[in-house]
Amino acid sequence: MKEKLYKKEIWITVIFSILLLLVGHSATIFRIFPSMQQGTIWGFPTHYILPIILGWFGLMAVCALMAIVCNKFDDEMESLADQAKSDRIAVSKQA
Amino acid sequence: MEYALGNVWMGVMIVVIMFAAFYYIGWVSSRKTASEADFYAAGFSIGPITNGLGMAATWASLATFLGVIALIQKLQVPFVYLWIQWAISIPLLTLLYGTSLRRMKAFTPGTFIKARYGKPSTVVIVCWMMLIMVMYALGQMIGLGQAFELLFGVPYNIGLIVAGVATVGFIAMGGMYGASYNAAFQMVVMTIAMVVPMGAIMKSMGSSGWWFPPLAYGDMVPAMLEMLPTFFDMKYDVRWYFALIPAFTLGPVALPHLAMRVFTSSSVKSARWAGVWFALFLGLLFAGTYTAGFAGNYFVATTGKVIAKADQTLLILNVFYNPTLVAAFVMGGALAAGLSTVGGNLMAISGLVGNDLMSIIAPNMQSKQRMKWGYLALILGGVSAILLAFNPPKFLVTSILWAFGLLATTATPAILLGVWWKEANKLALIFSSSICGFLYIIISPYVMPSLVVGTGMAASLGMASGMVTVPLSFAMFIVMSIVFNRIPALTAYAPTLADKKVIDSIHGWGDEYEETRYNGIITPLIISVVCMLIVWWGLQPWS
Repeated sequence: MKEKLYKKEIWITVIFSILLLLVGHSATIFRIFPSMQQGTIWGFPTHYILPIILGWFGLMAVCALMAIVCNKFDDEMESLADQAKSDRIAVSKQA
Repeated sequence: MEYALGNVWMGVMIVVIMFAAFYYIGWVSSRKTASEADFYAAGFSIGPITNGLGMAATWASLATFLGVIALIQKLQVPFVYLWIQWAISIPLLTLLYGTSLRRMKAFTPGTFIKARYGKPSTVVIVCWMMLIMVMYALGQMIGLGQAFELLFGVPYNIGLIVAGVATVGFIAMGGMYGASYNAAFQMVVMTIAMVVPMGAIMKSMGSSGWWFPPLAYGDMVPAMLEMLPTFFDMKYDVRWYFALIPAFTLGPVALPHLAMRVFTSSSVKSARWAGVWFALFLGLLFAGTYTAGFAGNYFVATTGKVIAKADQTLLILNVFYNPTLVAAFVMGGALAAGLSTVGGNLMAISGLVGNDLMSIIAPNMQSKQRMKWGYLALILGGVSAILLAFNPPKFLVTSILWAFGLLATTATPAILLGVWWKEANKLALIFSSSICGFLYIIISPYVMPSLVVGTGMAASLGMASGMVTVPLSFAMFIVMSIVFNRIPALTAYAPTLADKKVIDSIHGWGDEYEETRYNGIITPLIISVVCMLIVWWGLQPWS
């Protein structure tokens, strides 16, 4: 259980770090793939407005997802810590 | 064209009303401040919406109203991309270490550095952070002095003294409670000042999207492209865009005044939700800034008028298109942006000196006594910034963007590896931080122009040097830690069991210590290899 939670924490951190970098640096993708610099959204060139939208609403969405996932993970950690604490108390009582 | 307010008394009225509100908030907050936790962390009580507003205000400086718009005019869309990525800094620091340090109830990142690495390493990191906070506060003070000069037509020195003393006064009065509530209020003021008058400007310019300035000016694009065909060009190569990450994404992650906003949260969970509100509020303000940059270019291209000082573009647009009262209010918004940042800077200086350094110099000092030192440090930090702003030393007025690269080099590896890696060694930290910090300064264009990495803006803003020294600092820290931990003569610098227990505890494991957690060698070595490849890429000639 502890090992599983530890791995989960690492994966959550890695995945959300990548997602945050993606929404903050999406312009780089348009530079790497110049063929994507085509078309318009709401009258703006796609490679201009999409990074702005991702850096605003995309970031909000990632932050909201991060809050939900990480807060749920904290609950799991807390229940593990509580369980470990009550186990220790039970062992010390038996001793 | 230059900015001049039609009626100076409008400006006086706006500024007096704003400062009266700031002092009132500071006074109310001062009554809540009874302990160090109150003074440095607002009693760990700030809710997510207020904190989201406060985070956004602390991040958005005077540059959001002045410098950025000038740089968008100069560099066009690439500078917009540079600015967009600032917004991920607070969510990233919250994810990577903010909630962990909030769990240990740290007042500043220095609190963690002291618990994890001990006193000598803390002095090194705190000194780097202090230097950057002083550079930051100095830049804002100069801006505030200039803003008063513009608003009231008074000489710069007088504007600086009045603005500086008035600012330090309300920040010192309210401590972190005052800084938090004032920052939230200032964010509301600056957002309204940025977005609403811009709608009127766009309407006058003939845009049908005036009802939502941040995103609805697409109908102005064809005219813009006709007059300025290069505006949307990405201009630079892939490496320029990648170089934003080491210096400008990883630097702000270690900014103490941003981290301290996360630490004021009422809980770890509330800190994460504050990030969502932060993204909403900052996104709105920043999108307004991009609109202002676009409108400034559009104005120059379509009217043929020349803006002598590009810094004043937003203000000039408002004087040109809006009533005097609105133009004065926009200047008030710019002031609010500067004040919220100075508030964060001074609170960080106060925490770094009053809490972190004083607990090393005088470990037996009572908490109340330390808090008094915190107040003193705050006032002295503010007064120093004012005095330096009279005749600022050249090396301190280098762009704050350059300082971000210095922070990413010196402090970010210490915090991130300290939180995530038990092998991180105290001596390795001192060596890697000091060596790479000085290397960053040396290979930037300000010390030895013959020994510079990169050219043009990539060099002057520290992007090119940061692409070398930030990954080098991570790699050196990792490799040196692994080596030093295995040299018997250096045992004193190896992490102790107590140091390692700090890591498990701040990740939420409580008393459940496990030696193997956060303790691998393979992954850090792989990271070192990747870092060295980035160093090699960064050292290739820049076009």
